Amino acid sequence: MSAPEKAADTSLDEVAGHIRDMNAESLSLPDILNLAEIMVGSMQGFFGHVDTAIYKELTEISDFIDTTRSEIGRLQPRNLKDKHFPEAGLELEAIVQSTESATNTIMEQAELIMSADPDDMPAYHDTVQGAVMEIFEACSFQDITGQRISKVVSTLVLIESKISSLADALGSALNEDIEEEETEEEKRKRELILNGPALDGEGIEQSDVDDILSDGASQDDIDALFD
Amino acid sequence: MAVDLSMPVLVVDDYKTMIRIIRNLLKQLGFTNVDDAADGTEALAKMRGKRYGLVISDWNMEPMTGYELLKEVRGDEGLKPTPFIMITAESKTENVIAAKKAGVNNYIVKPFNAATLKTKITAVIGEF
Repeated sequence: MSAPEKAADTSLDEVAGHIRDMNAESLSLPDILNLAEIMVGSMQGFFGHVDTAIYKELTEISDFIDTTRSEIGRLQPRNLKDKHFPEAGLELEAIVQSTESATNTIMEQAELIMSADPDDMPAYHDTVQGAVMEIFEACSFQDITGQRISKVVSTLVLIESKISSLADALGSALNEDIEEEETEEEKRKRELILNGPALDGEGIEQSDVDDILSDGASQDDIDALFD
Repeated sequence: MAVDLSMPVLVVDDYKTMIRIIRNLLKQLGFTNVDDAADGTEALAKMRGKRYGLVISDWNMEPMTGYELLKEVRGDEGLKPTPFIMITAESKTENVIAAKKAGVNNYIVKPFNAATLKTKITAVIGEF
């Protein structure tokens, strides 16, 4: 208990003693006012202390809100939302379209070669030559998609640096132990084991798959893969 | 007994390009009767309307995945014996084990080549 709280507690005991000593029926208005005066006087120190503590805390909260607001401002969320995210999305869409278009062109030409009649050698030669040139041309998509991917990576780096600045500014105020609730999409991915393509070194090779599927693989062999 | 290369084969993938690639590879291997479906639901409907000698399915599809399709097929008395090969980019051990437990006949990790496809089909339906 703090000193002002102790003082207030002692004064309240004194007031209670006065009331006990008085005859309640003969209690006059001046008596009650006197008691009120004693009480107010004794509690003043306590409330004064509480006011100062609350004021100090509110000032700290206000400063923290100001800092957070200015850091969020530096993030330029509208700029991210209106410019960077849409641009990155468009670049990714363009990548999907150009790779799909190139793949279709390459496959069309490959199918053309497959269906060409090798008995008619001059025509077959022309078909193969023409198809191979088309395939070379279609492969130029790689250069363009490389540049588009670089732009998307730049956007990600920008976002990463802004988020890092915000995290640094918030410092210990960040509660990183909060457990996020699993979304429906995450639940579906977990239940249906939808991991997506693995990066190099993360997935298993076809030979490992063959080992797991081979009749010789015991449950122990399979379990050992999880160790 | 020799494999009948005119038997119906069902290729299930939500990427038209991948269906086209597998169709071409199957054509090169001699298969002449190939159908396709864009996900597990469409595949299941086709399988209930026609008897397929082989199903080759991707894993990651919407709304019904290849894994769900496999479990549906193995849970259906009429479809249960259909040979089922999974071709997928899902290359975690847990995927292979789950597929094995669900009754897959073989499992091919993408990217794959024609030789791997032929080897796995041969392992499932016999020499051709």
